[in-house]
Amino acid sequence: MAPPPTSYRIDVVDVGTLDASTEDTLLTSLEKAGVRAQFHCREGFCGACRTTLLSGDVDYTTDPLAFIDDDEILPCCCIPLSPLKVKVPL
Amino acid sequence: MKYTTFNQKTTDPLVEPMFFGNPVNVARYDQQKHAIFEKLIEKQISFFWRPEEVDVTRDRVDFQKLTDPEKHIFISNLKYQTLLDSVQGRSPNIAFLPIISLPELETWVETWSFFETIHSRSYTHILRNLFSDPSEIFEDIVVNDQIKRRAADISRYYDDLIFATQLWQTLGEGEHKVNGETHVINQYELKKKLFLCMNSVNALEAIRFYVSFACTFAFAERKLMEGNSKIIRLIARDENLHLSSTQHILNLWARGKDDPDMAQIAEECKDEARAIFMNAVQQEKEWADYLFQNGSMLGMNKDILCQYVEYIANERMRAIGYEPPFEVKSNPLPWMNNYLQSDNVQVAPQESEISSYLVGQIDSSVDESDFADFEL
Repeated sequence: MAPPPTSYRIDVVDVGTLDASTEDTLLTSLEKAGVRAQFHCREGFCGACRTTLLSGDVDYTTDPLAFIDDDEILPCCCIPLSPLKVKVPL
Repeated sequence: MKYTTFNQKTTDPLVEPMFFGNPVNVARYDQQKHAIFEKLIEKQISFFWRPEEVDVTRDRVDFQKLTDPEKHIFISNLKYQTLLDSVQGRSPNIAFLPIISLPELETWVETWSFFETIHSRSYTHILRNLFSDPSEIFEDIVVNDQIKRRAADISRYYDDLIFATQLWQTLGEGEHKVNGETHVINQYELKKKLFLCMNSVNALEAIRFYVSFACTFAFAERKLMEGNSKIIRLIARDENLHLSSTQHILNLWARGKDDPDMAQIAEECKDEARAIFMNAVQQEKEWADYLFQNGSMLGMNKDILCQYVEYIANERMRAIGYEPPFEVKSNPLPWMNNYLQSDNVQVAPQESEISSYLVGQIDSSVDESDFADFEL
């Protein structure tokens, strides 16, 4: 059986695409690719990085405490589980 | 409805609304209607800190070197922060506790307010170090017109809710004449007052506080007043959590996930609530005018601060479902993020080597391999 992929293609609406490692949080991957996403706490409790997830799945590395709507994710504390399509507020 | 400190009636907190249901009886957390509040409590307690742990002695030297306009900015900002935390250290307890119906929310509010009292104590810690007698600073908070003007707006919604709740709890629903003034008290009106008050609290913690943080960190960017900035970082981390909690409450209401009346009120009072935010923004801009009336400082002036107010207001309003009203797109103070990052917060000097220090972290799962390099 093939090992699980170590990175996924992320489609950032209006910005472009990037490869995000499953080792890094999505926020770190975005930053590595030069996408200047908003952030404050980087620990999932402030909600500053709140991002719309249009398609795909993510897994949280820490329980998000900030309010997120059903179609939103907190990139600072999640990793991709599949290719994603996201709309990042810049 | 009369308030009781231990409601003898059997209630099911899993079906109670957050506010204006039955008073809480047993403080139990094994079952929760809104588990988020228990999580916030845990997080907040893990943040525990004491002002005395932060060394502010070097600030005194820095302060003497500041220009007069800079001293005005620094001290006025500190006065404003002292006002905000004076209000927050008591008001959530007095306004919300008598009307809360969920044990986890009750304890969250108490935990939240307690941390605001740590903030208040830290302002005394900072000022005592800067002045041999800080009385003049504290006394001015109550007489300074610029500060009084915003104090009036901040406390208005709290006072309104507290007074109406007192009437409701002593006299019940109906029209009550007090000192020649008639007050219409019913649960729907009370809930409206609560909704507006919660919006005002959110505007306070999510916008007003951040304007003051920006001023503090502008000094730290120039390597000035770093002890003070270290304390304000800890305060900012707490405030981040507090504003998350009021965002949760507002969103739970608006999405009909708690009390159907509140969902209706959220729709009905949308414009009024929005006006609270717009007013706060306007007041913060006027405050910026006052701060920089004698001159700017390196890296910060009235225009930048006003842009930041608009930027942060956009973010915060978007978070609770309002259309962002301002043009500003990007963060005019990108360095703010470095100060707001939780991982960069350092409490005691001995922790300087450990970036993420957690109190009470005990790992009880020990693997056999952990003893591999252990010899007797």
